[in-house]
Amino acid sequence: MSLFPKNPRVLFLAILFLAIILPWIPLGPSTNYLLRVLTSAVLYMILALGLNIVPGFTGLLDLGYVGFYGIGAYTSGLLAIHYDLSLWVILPIAAANGALWGVLLGAPTLRLTGDYFAIVTFGFSELVVLLLRNELWLTRGPMGLPGIPPPAIFGYPLTQGWQYFYLALFLLLVVLVVVVRLENSRLGRAWFAIREDEIAAQSCGISLIRYKVMAFAASAAIGAMGGAFYAKWFRFIHPDMFKFWESILILCLIVFGGMGSIAGTMLGALILIPLTEVLRTALPQSMFNARYLIYGLLLVIMMRLRPEGLIPFQLSRSRKAEQAKARLLGGEE
Amino acid sequence: MGALLKVKTLSKSFGGLLALKEITLKVAPEQIVGIIGPNGAGKTTFFNCLSCLYHPTGGEIEFDSIPLATPTSTASKKRVRIFAWVFLLLGLIRLPLFWSFFLPQTFFKVELFLLGLFILSIRFLLVRGLIRHEIWAWGLMFIFLLSDFCFALIFLTQPNPSDYIVFTHVPLRYVAMPWGVAAGLFSLYFTGLLCTGKVRRLYGFRTSPDAVCRNGLARTFQNIRLFFNLSVLDNVKIGRHGRMHSGLGKTLFRTRFQQKEEASAEKEGLHFLRFVGLEDKAFDLADTLAYGEQRRLEIARALASEPKLLLLDEPAAGMNARESEELIQLVRKIREGGIAVLIIEHDMKVMMNLADYIYVFDYGILIAEGTPDAVRENQKVIDAYLGGDRGVC
Amino acid sequence: MESLLDQSSLFLQQLVNGITLGGVYALIAVGYTMVYGVIQLINFAHGEIYMLGAFLAYTLVAVVGMPFFPAFVLTLLICAVLGVVLDFVAYRPLRKAPRLAALITAIGMSIFLQNMAMLIWGSQIKSYPRDLLPAFFSESAITFGDVSLSWLQLFILSITLLFMIILHLTIHKTRIGMAMRAISQDKTASALMGIGVNRVISFTFAIGSAMGGMAGILVGLYYNAIFPTMGYVAGIKAFAAAVLGGIGSVPGAMLGGGVLGIAEVMGAGYISSEYRDGISYAVMIAVILFKPSGLIGKQNAEKV
Repeated sequence: MSLFPKNPRVLFLAILFLAIILPWIPLGPSTNYLLRVLTSAVLYMILALGLNIVPGFTGLLDLGYVGFYGIGAYTSGLLAIHYDLSLWVILPIAAANGALWGVLLGAPTLRLTGDYFAIVTFGFSELVVLLLRNELWLTRGPMGLPGIPPPAIFGYPLTQGWQYFYLALFLLLVVLVVVVRLENSRLGRAWFAIREDEIAAQSCGISLIRYKVMAFAASAAIGAMGGAFYAKWFRFIHPDMFKFWESILILCLIVFGGMGSIAGTMLGALILIPLTEVLRTALPQSMFNARYLIYGLLLVIMMRLRPEGLIPFQLSRSRKAEQAKARLLGGEE
Repeated sequence: MGALLKVKTLSKSFGGLLALKEITLKVAPEQIVGIIGPNGAGKTTFFNCLSCLYHPTGGEIEFDSIPLATPTSTASKKRVRIFAWVFLLLGLIRLPLFWSFFLPQTFFKVELFLLGLFILSIRFLLVRGLIRHEIWAWGLMFIFLLSDFCFALIFLTQPNPSDYIVFTHVPLRYVAMPWGVAAGLFSLYFTGLLCTGKVRRLYGFRTSPDAVCRNGLARTFQNIRLFFNLSVLDNVKIGRHGRMHSGLGKTLFRTRFQQKEEASAEKEGLHFLRFVGLEDKAFDLADTLAYGEQRRLEIARALASEPKLLLLDEPAAGMNARESEELIQLVRKIREGGIAVLIIEHDMKVMMNLADYIYVFDYGILIAEGTPDAVRENQKVIDAYLGGDRGVC
Repeated sequence: MESLLDQSSLFLQQLVNGITLGGVYALIAVGYTMVYGVIQLINFAHGEIYMLGAFLAYTLVAVVGMPFFPAFVLTLLICAVLGVVLDFVAYRPLRKAPRLAALITAIGMSIFLQNMAMLIWGSQIKSYPRDLLPAFFSESAITFGDVSLSWLQLFILSITLLFMIILHLTIHKTRIGMAMRAISQDKTASALMGIGVNRVISFTFAIGSAMGGMAGILVGLYYNAIFPTMGYVAGIKAFAAAVLGGIGSVPGAMLGGGVLGIAEVMGAGYISSEYRDGISYAVMIAVILFKPSGLIGKQNAEKV
């Protein structure tokens, strides 16, 4: 059973069109709430696409993704508060900062096998959170960072929910273009090769060091960008927002949707994030933590029943391959 | 005309187990050389040494006049290790001095200590040869130089000395400074040594396996190592990785160069598939191929990197007579294409028909070498294992 | 400037506290290391078993009203069963699956158990009833100058030591211990030799979980506070201890636990108490990067 559509391009454009006109559909008083949920979903799509690069493409289990998310958020928040920079300046800086930390984390962990790698990345994110919490002189620690100025387009600050939604959509499109281009390139293939078989990849001339570090840097850059957007959107950040739990949540999204497949990752986020909201409002206050429980269960069940996720990696690539085949055979005559 | 591959007294031991003992072997350009021997004789280990997955414990490998690996002697290893530890220790001593200049009333603050340790660990890893690229060594040296320079500058121009312990304690300041300078110079010198490769040569070096491929030595594996979740064509395209040049920038911006390169990669990939006869399966998942086809795909992938020497590890394993015959034709075609082949095989029919020259391994030692006829008559070989035509799976 | 005597007695007191904490970590670490030894999986949910041990004992004592020692023993048994069930439900079906899948499952189970506990017991800190143990337990048993070792600490240390010895003897002197060692070296060959691999693995989980649960009770007594997220942090620290000593090696886990406990207490006392947890993470990262085989473990080579 495959959820992959017959003609992905048309479907994608249809969804995009729907997303663009969404804020204008009159849904009554809850429109703003819905927009917020969807903006959150789009943000998580961006984050999930970023994380997808490491375990999805390259096959390394990164448990420390929230560290990059947090670094991006704090970079953005601090730059905005202290220097009042525009979003369009902050985004690349945050991405660069994320990439730097991605390289710093990636370089020493190259030779580690799966389990140890996961643990070290986890340790890293924990250390980052500890740093964020305790370095009062930098981050104001547990008092959080309030009053981050909103982003401004051509001088007009964003105030409405739908404006943030469009901004998020725009960022998503940028990240999507980047990731799709990476997937279908020499770089992407090198990552897949590393995931499938490191030794064979080396024998094809792929330098493990270089590509693993690159995967990390790319993933961290995207995560940091997501964090930067988050800081500007929510306008208040606090170390408790960047717990290990977020890493797991994002991991859940890509496992559920299909690790390695871009469409799957986005679908996973699109389904699960609104689900979180639904659960949050639907369950009584005392059962507040039940939704975390459901995620844990979800991970276990997915691994047992459908480890490839909703839209498996192979399938998405073989669909592309069939299109390529048709193109090629048509062109070769 | 020199030999393409020159192996001189290559030895490899794993702890106490001696897998290879002083193997000397030569392959000339466009020659087909065979390696035979009973199971466990060290043939695959030999291949692994050639493709630099293992580090030899003795002897040398030279490919296309480029040394691939030189062994480490325990004496020089020890020297480098001591060097590295002293270096690390000096850095560690310098750290608290460094931080005490910056942080009021602290001498050891864990979080900065950790950061410093982290940076030091990168330096240490450099020493242990884990970061191999020269340009990284240069870059890191530059960063260290910069940090040491900043340290000295800040120290000398410190605006508000009274906040910091070290400055209120005047004699300490003058003791601390030369340490800082000395450690800085030492780290400079040492990293500089790494750049010239002297330490690397002292430590014995081994080219990384991917550099081996880019130099023109490709291989297949005894247990098929394909990228099973990718398509057949993708497998071959990955084989072409070393011959393509699009990097991160060109990929992100989809430049014309990258587009052209992708298109030609596709065309050439199909060309190689045609060569081994798998063209009609180009878009199938590698997983779905039959065993014999998978072996041919591995060969196509290896050929895609345009090697000068191809190492084949038991390509005829599991093949019937007809498939073996096709394999012989294929290897001959490969040689006609100007590629030398070094082949491990158990199937005597294949070996005797293909090889110009054969080496015989047994228990990690070369017990005989010569033309197929000479080897066939050699008593030692017959004793070791030869007993007529044997197609073993 | 404090006198040398004061300083050294502070140091010794910290040392004593550190060793006690280290003993607890060792108990948990042993569970991790044994499971890793037999199935090469980091059982993330092990920390939650530790937490559940503390909570189960609490329930038995405070809600059901059992006296301490029967509750203690019963909790151990329940934890052992929990461990076996965990393996059966979550890990056994994935025996042949790729490592990534099993790792993700372990994480999922950990989250599930943690939040299940939060649902059942609420997320407030609970403590054991005041009069649970005889009153003299909090008094000091041995006093050496300013350094005192309370009966409670002595109890913890002796129980830890006792069970470590029992474990060591089990692994080295009994048949099932030999089976465990065989499986950790080569599962297939062990199966071919007639060892019931799944049963021995279940047994390993049972022992590991029982000791983890015991550690939970001891910590609950020592710090007089239990909360559903205690498993998370302690689990990581115990894992760090296991790695420090050499994952797969039981004496290593014991040694690692001791070292880590001392390092943490010393670090919290002398360096910075906010980064108390950070010390364990840092140690773990350092060990993994520099000497992944740990203090006692052996290097493993991969066959190409």
